[in-house]
Amino acid sequence: MIGRYARLLLVFAKVETQYELEYRTNLIFSVLQQAMIMVTSIGAMLILFSYTTTLNGWSLAEMLVLLGVFYIVQGIGDTLFGPSFERLLEHIRLGTLDFTLLKPANGQFLVSTRHVKLRNSAQLVLGLVVLGIGISRLESALSAAQVAGFIVALGCGFALMYSLLLVLSTLAFWFVRVENLLVIYGAFVDASRFPVDIYPGWLRVTLSSVAPVGIAVTVPAQALAGRVDALGIAALALAATLAWVLSAWFWRRGLRSYTGASA
Amino acid sequence: MIATYRTLLVAQFQQASQYRVSMFLYLLFSLIRPIIFLAAWTAVAAARGGSVGGFSAADFAGYYVCMALVLHFTTAWNAYEFEFEVAQGRLSPKLLRPLHPLHYSVVENITWKFFTAFGLVPALAFVAITFQARFETQWWNVALFVPSLLLAAAIRFFLGWIVATAAFWTTRVNAAVTLFDRIMFIFAGQIAPLALMPGILQSIAYVLPFGYIIGVPTDILRGGATLDQALLWMGGQVFWLIVSYAGLQLIWRAGVRQYSAVGA
Amino acid sequence: MSSVIDVRELRKMFHVSEREEGLGATVRALVRRRYRDVPAVAGISFSIEPGEVVGFLGPNGAGKTTTLKALSGLLHPTGGEARVLGFVPWRRENEYLRQMTLLMGNRSQLVWDIPASDSFRVLQEIYKIPEDQYRRALDELVALLDLAPLLHKPVRSLSLGERMKVEFAAGLLHSPKVAFLDEPTIGLDVSMQARIRRFIAEHNRRTGATILLTSHYMADVVALCKRVIVIHHGVLLYDGDLAALASRMAPYKVIGVTLRDGSEADGLAAYGDIQSRDEARVTLHVPRDAAPERAARLVNDLGERLIDISVGDPAIEDVIDRVFTTEATS
Repeated sequence: MIGRYARLLLVFAKVETQYELEYRTNLIFSVLQQAMIMVTSIGAMLILFSYTTTLNGWSLAEMLVLLGVFYIVQGIGDTLFGPSFERLLEHIRLGTLDFTLLKPANGQFLVSTRHVKLRNSAQLVLGLVVLGIGISRLESALSAAQVAGFIVALGCGFALMYSLLLVLSTLAFWFVRVENLLVIYGAFVDASRFPVDIYPGWLRVTLSSVAPVGIAVTVPAQALAGRVDALGIAALALAATLAWVLSAWFWRRGLRSYTGASA
Repeated sequence: MIATYRTLLVAQFQQASQYRVSMFLYLLFSLIRPIIFLAAWTAVAAARGGSVGGFSAADFAGYYVCMALVLHFTTAWNAYEFEFEVAQGRLSPKLLRPLHPLHYSVVENITWKFFTAFGLVPALAFVAITFQARFETQWWNVALFVPSLLLAAAIRFFLGWIVATAAFWTTRVNAAVTLFDRIMFIFAGQIAPLALMPGILQSIAYVLPFGYIIGVPTDILRGGATLDQALLWMGGQVFWLIVSYAGLQLIWRAGVRQYSAVGA
Repeated sequence: MSSVIDVRELRKMFHVSEREEGLGATVRALVRRRYRDVPAVAGISFSIEPGEVVGFLGPNGAGKTTTLKALSGLLHPTGGEARVLGFVPWRRENEYLRQMTLLMGNRSQLVWDIPASDSFRVLQEIYKIPEDQYRRALDELVALLDLAPLLHKPVRSLSLGERMKVEFAAGLLHSPKVAFLDEPTIGLDVSMQARIRRFIAEHNRRTGATILLTSHYMADVVALCKRVIVIHHGVLLYDGDLAALASRMAPYKVIGVTLRDGSEADGLAAYGDIQSRDEARVTLHVPRDAAPERAARLVNDLGERLIDISVGDPAIEDVIDRVFTTEATS
């Protein structure tokens, strides 16, 4: 079963990438754009740190780790399911979602992964580089537990972001102008470039619960920086599992509404 | 011309009111970036025992509230629309009408800002209170602020259009726009008040027009600069207004020639 | 042999919010929505045997697309039952979906930026079509539809007709046993419509797939369907032979007369009902059985004053029109 869907994902990636490689100049420009955005973000960070050695207790190295995680998470999102969800809104609007529903494969999977955009993984790669630089400048060496915590937290963060995006996109079954909500989502994603604890109460709460992109980035970074314990990661894992289950249920609910099934 | 504008404005208002919700949400979105950096600078100030280069946390709040206001009223998004119109072939009919296409853009721009102003003011008030913003504004600051803001908006508008005309020559307008956006991000005072930016970046900001778009009106409104300094800045704005306007005229004419040569 | 499609008392009600125009009504609607129940399908029953090509006729809003959507599995009916290939369609079980296809004339399932051949590979993976079966199906479709030059160009660069052909191939690649075609020739030029019709007929002949199609174009139905189901206002008005429908609903023949002198046209009222007059050309409706005799009399009586005469069947559109107007007045 996993094999079947892994093969499907591979086919999707292959087909979309083939198409992207045909337009090489576009690809190059896209990569340059992503690089430009990252460089200026790092620059902004450096300007902040020219005036201080810590930001709310975070050192420059730790902030670089956070920034790296930020771009890794964004990169994965923009590559794997972001573009597909954008298309979902279009499909619902144009009525072409019907075709997807009638395919003998899981609808949620198809809708989330059909349009894998490998060119957006430039962020992912650059994010890894920044992460590496940050890790190399950390004061203390990384323990195996920290790395394990990081990987688990990263996976959970990824699951949280996916679930949130799925819920927002599912709203398109009921509301026509969901693009607006996605704009808000984008704003919250942007806010997660800094550790959640520097924000005033209301924003911190929002980024941790309502739009948990904040903790999706902060907690993995905290794991590497040794600032979170096993309990914190367990809590994140629980939240991620809950979010995953709830969002899948919500998607099925949306489908039932779309096809006129009684509740 | 006034009558034309009045008609266009009315039509645009009616259209805009249908997009109330989108506009409002976009407004909230545009506030997030300043809030992020305000929070960051507040943390830096706290780490340094209260202030950074003469800016206390409250001063930062005051700066970013003013900056958000200025940022909002100087926004221009013509590049995206223009690229779309050229690609869809919708520019040609506009070129055939006895009204320069830019006027539609002006009207659209003004309408949007007017509509969203109603949401902006309470939102900024909320931010100001939450972050305990401090302002040093005097009466002449406010008096000078309005013309300064208008100058800044006009400069940004013309520059935005210069970037947009890239659509006459290439489909990769997106790259040009991103580049322009990032330059604005660095040099227009979004990362930090210009006074706190590294020296070389500050100089560039005031040599190029970018400092005059966000930085100048913000500093005038917030107060803290002398009258002489403010007037000198506004002189810079006038200079860049003329330059950007002239530049736009030149490149627009070249662009239209290119467009019709290729087959409008 | 049991039927492929079995429908019993199918019912679908739509809950539509309604609002009058005007500012006051708009404001009121914000606070309290008024709803109306619209019966799109009001209890229809029919069965279709394997291999049949059945046409679904009805004006816009008659309930044909709703029925088609329910049978393909996209819509949950409000009442009644339906089975296709033994499955309950709206459960959308993968086993069912693998054996059916829905083609919609005005909607595209192919991704626009990539060549069709790439989309086909994706479909192969999704439907788990074994390589040899895939090759066979693809070769046959390519031959029948002349797809060879189209497969490797991005779909968006194809003309409308070419795109339609490729969409057809995409929909039939997995050799479905049942095909639902919703307005398959809409927007195509006349020659392309004819080619698509020939393809559908040929495909049905070769594979024995059961085909249910809806169309506004009578030519589609006449060319492909011996059996038609007529729906209007969600109710089934007729289910049976198309030819029999014509003779039952429109028991007349159409005689077209071209006179040398237009002024004589009124005199023709003695031979039959005058339907239309265009200067010297008159169209008459005469009872079916009386047609040969009336035509003969016209030739005899008019002699040289007659330039041309034609005897034919009523246009199917008129037949169908009669079905609807009869129902409307009953």
